[in-house]
Amino acid sequence: MDPSKYNQAEQEQIRALIEQKQVSDFMNLFTGLTDRCFKECAYDFRTKAVTGREAACVQKCADRFLKHSERVSTRFAELSEAVSRTIFYVVRKIEFIY
Amino acid sequence: MSFFGGNMQSQQQTINPQNIALAEQELEMVTDLFNRITESCHKKCISKEYTQGELNQGEAVCIDRCVAKFLDVNSKVGEKMQQMGGSA
Repeated sequence: MDPSKYNQAEQEQIRALIEQKQVSDFMNLFTGLTDRCFKECAYDFRTKAVTGREAACVQKCADRFLKHSERVSTRFAELSEAVSRTIFYVVRKIEFIY
Repeated sequence: MSFFGGNMQSQQQTINPQNIALAEQELEMVTDLFNRITESCHKKCISKEYTQGELNQGEAVCIDRCVAKFLDVNSKVGEKMQQMGGSA
């Protein structure tokens, strides 16, 4: 996604697109994480209240996943040259279709 | 679909919808790739035993290697598909 390929107006629109995507990505992260930690930690259905043990589990679960996600995104950014090579392959196909 | 009049371009910037669509595709792809890596590497590296809220050193190193390996595999698959696309 080389900015020099696009003119000013297009860049604006793409920027808006990215912002939109970031919002929906955040939503997905939130719902995904809730689902994950619920699956991992909630097990005691003799009560509707979250037990101490379940709550501690959820804290750790969320903590670990977010730290994991952070580390992945750091490495991902570092290796972004490999990512753009992949995009290059795919984009060539798409351009051919267009 | 897109205007290539010389005068028009200097007065206003026209948005080529193809470019936007392409950028959107790229964005989708990168996001999808990132999400898959996050999911896969979590399965492979992070244990389900939540003894503490921090990742230990082993897990951290595993993540680094996992991301690198995933992207490597991704490149190899891409190359393969290129080859197959060419011969087809």
